[in-house]
Amino acid sequence: MTAPGASQDAPSPGAGAAELGGHAFLRGMPERYVAVLARACRPTQVPEGYRFFAEGDPANLLWLIRSGHVALDLHPPGRRLIVETLGKGDLLGLSWLVPPYEWQFGATAVQDTILFELDAALVRAACDADPGLGYELLRRVMSAASSRLQAARIRMLDLYAASSSVRDEA
Amino acid sequence: MEDPIQPGSTALMEATALGQLFASLHDAGYAVIGPTVRDGAIILDELAAASDLPFGWGVRLEPGGYRLRRRADSAAFGHSAGPQSWKQFLHPPREKLWSARLADGAFEIGADEDATPPRLAFFGVRPCDLRAIEIQDQVLGSGRGNSRYAARRDAVLIVAVNCTEPGETCFCSSMGTGPGAGPGYDLALTELVTGDRHDFLVDVGTPAGASVLGAVPHAPAAASTVEAARTAVADAAQHMGRSMPATGLRELMAGSYDAARWDDVASRCLTCGNCTLACPTCFCTSVEDVTDLSGDHAERWQHWASCFDLDFSYLHGGPVRVSPESRYRQWLTHKLGTWHDQFGSSGCVGCGRCIVWCPVGIDITEEVAALQAEAQQTESGRTP
Amino acid sequence: MTAPVLPARYRVAGRQEETHDTVTLDLWPVDQPIPAYQPGQFTMLYAPGIGEVPVSISGTGPDAGLVQTVRAVGAVTRALCAAGPGRLLGVRGPYGTGWDVASAADGDLLIVAGGIGLAPLRGALLSALGHRDRYRRIVVLIGARSPTELVFARELDQWRCSGAEAEVTVDQPSAGWTGHVGVVTQLLPRAGVDPARTTALVCGPEVMMRLTARQLLPLGVPARRIRVSLERNMRCGVAECGHCQLGPLLLCRDGPVVSYEVAAPLLAIREL
Repeated sequence: MTAPGASQDAPSPGAGAAELGGHAFLRGMPERYVAVLARACRPTQVPEGYRFFAEGDPANLLWLIRSGHVALDLHPPGRRLIVETLGKGDLLGLSWLVPPYEWQFGATAVQDTILFELDAALVRAACDADPGLGYELLRRVMSAASSRLQAARIRMLDLYAASSSVRDEA
Repeated sequence: MEDPIQPGSTALMEATALGQLFASLHDAGYAVIGPTVRDGAIILDELAAASDLPFGWGVRLEPGGYRLRRRADSAAFGHSAGPQSWKQFLHPPREKLWSARLADGAFEIGADEDATPPRLAFFGVRPCDLRAIEIQDQVLGSGRGNSRYAARRDAVLIVAVNCTEPGETCFCSSMGTGPGAGPGYDLALTELVTGDRHDFLVDVGTPAGASVLGAVPHAPAAASTVEAARTAVADAAQHMGRSMPATGLRELMAGSYDAARWDDVASRCLTCGNCTLACPTCFCTSVEDVTDLSGDHAERWQHWASCFDLDFSYLHGGPVRVSPESRYRQWLTHKLGTWHDQFGSSGCVGCGRCIVWCPVGIDITEEVAALQAEAQQTESGRTP
Repeated sequence: MTAPVLPARYRVAGRQEETHDTVTLDLWPVDQPIPAYQPGQFTMLYAPGIGEVPVSISGTGPDAGLVQTVRAVGAVTRALCAAGPGRLLGVRGPYGTGWDVASAADGDLLIVAGGIGLAPLRGALLSALGHRDRYRRIVVLIGARSPTELVFARELDQWRCSGAEAEVTVDQPSAGWTGHVGVVTQLLPRAGVDPARTTALVCGPEVMMRLTARQLLPLGVPARRIRVSLERNMRCGVAECGHCQLGPLLLCRDGPVVSYEVAAPLLAIREL
């Protein structure tokens, strides 16, 4: 059985497991799993304005943001709408995990940003090979997705708006 | 005159001397407020003479029911739970707080008119109502707030009347507020009607009470008479038709917010607020700012409000307590529970008015018993 | 004292439009000023001839002046927001409990504000910045509906210069917004405070305060060091009218600032 990453166009294994394991997203993950992820990972940094991906692109990569600021956006005709911004400690990218592996939004660096970049295909293969790793990763991805869903629902409620009513004080 | 009367002493007064007692009160500058028969009920109003008292009148009380009845004797105080309480005199249903002149983007609040409250003698304050006055003193009497309560309270003299015959809906004894009057009265009467004698044992509470009694014919009370009076009051405590649990009401209320019973009572409750009107301790008010047509003159008025009103809890576009369950729950958990947290005592004095004057006859002693049963069931359902 | 509490007259000395429906008023006393206030307290503001509403004190001005921020949502608040310089308003107070900023000394002060909830917190922040060396980190997280609905936006740089770290996030960005987009709770994990030594002051819509507190707890901030500012219908401000009850609390006297330890079980009961 080939070790994950050995036969593919793997990114050079430049991220030490210790460094990667220190990222907030992977807090508490057993070292042996971090080591596997480290083999699919390389540190990277991008300048302000860098376009990570556009809506519809194949989702081949995922990132863990170490510092900086990334905006997720949608492009209706003639406009660019920012739906959410992410920063230090956040996972950038959810659509790499499940088919059709296509980005639902675009992502742009709002500032110079430093990240860990991981190869999505390698990570998926590693999870298939070791469900224990898969579960640990999935739990964390689910947590991020869940809190963003909750935040989105709260924003939909428009709580800051003044309630509409003819009379306020009786 | 006999022995000088002191606070703490007792005396015997014949019923025929009530007129002179009234005169003594009038001479001391008090208008006498007391019970009298009107419109099919025993209400409280200014009495010109002792003969206005409801001699020989009693009441028949039940949940949602009140009827006058003729007594076999001529007792003046053989009744209870009339529709009103003394709060309407100390904490008026409508009161002007202040008025102001408005002009050119400015305003000026006028000098305080009618600053001196009238001197009133409350004649016939039942022990439960005496306790209710004390409770409202705690809430409204500090003088720091909106009301002129403290000034009105200082101008009141209290002639209490101990109870020897509880009404069907009374439960003062289990609330610790009667049937004998606690401290706070100037004079306390115990009515003794036996055969053809009609007397009052008088307990003197304060120098003001002693002074009023001084001008009224009275005699030292024989020990046996005092004994008979005390016994009659103590016996009354054994004949209450209803009761509340002796302890733990605050905790029961605090633990009952999710009780199913609230839905049950809400299916009956009309949220009419009668209970809050009749209750001698309910104190909630609202304020209203009004101007005249010219816009030059503004007044702020305070008026009674009820937590059963939908807009009582209005906030950001709607009421917080929308459902009838939540409003009934608010009233009862406040009265019996959170009143302790807010004001250091229970808000209920066991007068039973809320039971009598509820149009659908909701009985809070029954509701509490049901909540207690539900709490015990939940508790035993939890422990295996 | 037997007279009812009368409004003291204050003159509108300045008027700042914060957003399309929110105004900050600088008020100077004409009559005897009200007693000194603690951040977190409120006054009953009187629009002559129209009525009174409870309004948090956002700060103080020179010569016993008051700074109060009002949102126009009805007759009284619309009149207050429309009051121009020179107009007289009535003020009663200060009432209620304060944020007790000083108790955060020797630790981190975390201020989380949602919408107009920043107004009652501004006084606390200014008080802390006035004694900067008493606190380790001072972090202010501000959430607003959109960039045009930020209150005190003009003061952010000043606060940063005075030693606060301020982050702003909006629910809906407008064109050109390069800041955070998201709910204010999403800024919490990056706030960088030491949870065991943090005092959190939270104010905003009730749902936002509950969410914020619920996210601070697993981060390790103790419930008794999380304070929220609660709101209910208020009429008298002096614990005599019964309107502002929240269970055992009379919010004009036992609030509006309440520790989350006390508030949590009460906020969990529907229609309380």
